[in-house]
Amino acid sequence: MNLKGISGRLSAKRYASPAVLIVAWELVGRLGLVDPFFLPAPTRILGSMWSLVLNGELFRHMSVSLYRSLGGYFLALVLGLGFGVLICWSRRAEDILDPVFELLRPVSTLGLVPLVIIWFGIGNGSKIAIVLKACFFPILLNTVAGIKGVNLKLIHAARSLGASEYQIWTKVIFPAALPVIFTGMRISTAISMMSIVGVEMLAADSGLGFMIVDAQRLFDTTRMFVGIITLSVLGFCMDYAARMLQKRFVGWHADSLAAGKI
Amino acid sequence: MALIDARKVGKVYANRNGEPTAALEDFTLEVEANEFVGIVGPSGCGKTTFLMLVAGLETLTSGELFLEDQPVEGPDPRHAIVFQEFLLFPWRTVRQNVEFGPEVRGVSREKRRQIVDGYISLVGLEGFEDRYPHELSGGMRQKAAIARALANEPRVLLMDEPFASLDALTRETLQQELLRIWQQTEATVLFVTHSISEAVFLSDRVVVMGPRPGKIRGVARIGLPRPRKREILTSPEFMGYERHIRELVWDESQRN
Ligand SMILES: Nc1ncnc2c1ncn2[C@@H]1O[C@H](COP(=O)(O)OP(=O)(O)OP(=O)(O)O)[C@@H](O)[C@H]1O
Ligand SMILES: [Mg+2]
Repeated sequence: MNLKGISGRLSAKRYASPAVLIVAWELVGRLGLVDPFFLPAPTRILGSMWSLVLNGELFRHMSVSLYRSLGGYFLALVLGLGFGVLICWSRRAEDILDPVFELLRPVSTLGLVPLVIIWFGIGNGSKIAIVLKACFFPILLNTVAGIKGVNLKLIHAARSLGASEYQIWTKVIFPAALPVIFTGMRISTAISMMSIVGVEMLAADSGLGFMIVDAQRLFDTTRMFVGIITLSVLGFCMDYAARMLQKRFVGWHADSLAAGKI
Repeated sequence: MALIDARKVGKVYANRNGEPTAALEDFTLEVEANEFVGIVGPSGCGKTTFLMLVAGLETLTSGELFLEDQPVEGPDPRHAIVFQEFLLFPWRTVRQNVEFGPEVRGVSREKRRQIVDGYISLVGLEGFEDRYPHELSGGMRQKAAIARALANEPRVLLMDEPFASLDALTRETLQQELLRIWQQTEATVLFVTHSISEAVFLSDRVVVMGPRPGKIRGVARIGLPRPRKREILTSPEFMGYERHIRELVWDESQRN
């Protein structure tokens, strides 16, 4: 079996088909087979991207979007971890919080946008609130599942070796639950990008989502492509970073799974 | 004065619906310091339960249980337990696993290193200190688990079918190793097993339990000389003890 699979192999072959596709796309544009209004050629998109980089506009929208999505993400991380630990730690807290969270969880994130705008205004506050809502639940649920799934015998072993209740949390429960918690964190990085774009398209005056709808209003397809491509690259980079962190901190888990020893 | 003194110990579990399960009843046993006691009995008769009680990880529901004349009131690092599954911490290397006990008890780094090196070489895992559990064979993982338990220098070593999932060869090697380690550390061992011959080979005494709720059916003193070598497995004395215990296990007349 090729365990590295589709994503792990770094050979020239991997880049062949996308390269062909891009060349074909360029030719379609150059030969005038499709109206560039619908499908501008890659070189044109790059050119437009370059000028947006030079005048600082791309960077401005990107940093605004990143600020909002990362801000919401880290708030969700802190709250999701905090409430997750609280729910697992105290039966009372679980009885109180669980029904509330079950009630809020299915509420549509984008459906909340108009309300959140009224509450927090059109600026960053409402965007961060939306990202927070979108990212909170995957992190919370995975934290709870991770902690509750810790093998009781590991805890017994630690306790019989003399660990205090606090040490059991820091030295056993948390590291044992971390692989599942990481899953929640990784899911939420993707969700944070998705939700920020959604809310910026609906109601904003800056950010990459706004840049794309604004370009649509001006019938500037090239600029729309610049926005879309920037978003994809950002999303890829964030997932890559998350994957590296995962490998660094919970690599033992994947290795143990692969060895069939969990 | 016995090291472990169990007097009419009983344990009733309540499951989620509150239905009671009597796991242990009228369990009376005295274990002397440095003794090696084997426990055999049918599945579900309460062997694990008894170890958990001695370890202080479960509380008894009747009777009394003393360790060095103190009632057992909770987990104590001096009573180390080795479980059937090799429950090493998978995110820690062999060294870090063995180090766990001294680490949580606040032993200084240099002292820790000494202790850990000592036990790693005692169980024969030199050169594997920096491996993760999944990079070890089953036998090596169980050795690491034993070293982790020993690193707290426990008075009592509680072993719950530690060799059950190992192949026969590894198992025989580890039995010999365990006897060697036991003689070097002078720990008291409670050893649960399903294998009668393993119990006879290792123990000073073998406790035979009846089906649930677990009561003691009989205790056999094994008078085989020590140190024990593999050769005694085929000796008439050994087989005599084995037969005696098998009879205790299967004695229909004593079944309620
Ligand atoms: N935490 C628990 N809650 C409820 N019942 C339990 C619990 N642990 C064990 N029991 C019950 O107590 C009885 C004795 O269990 P125990 O695990 O001590 O048996 P055992 O002799 O170790 O069996 P085995 O040889 O299969 O390991 C069983 O009927 C079991 O179902
Ligand atoms: Mg058992």
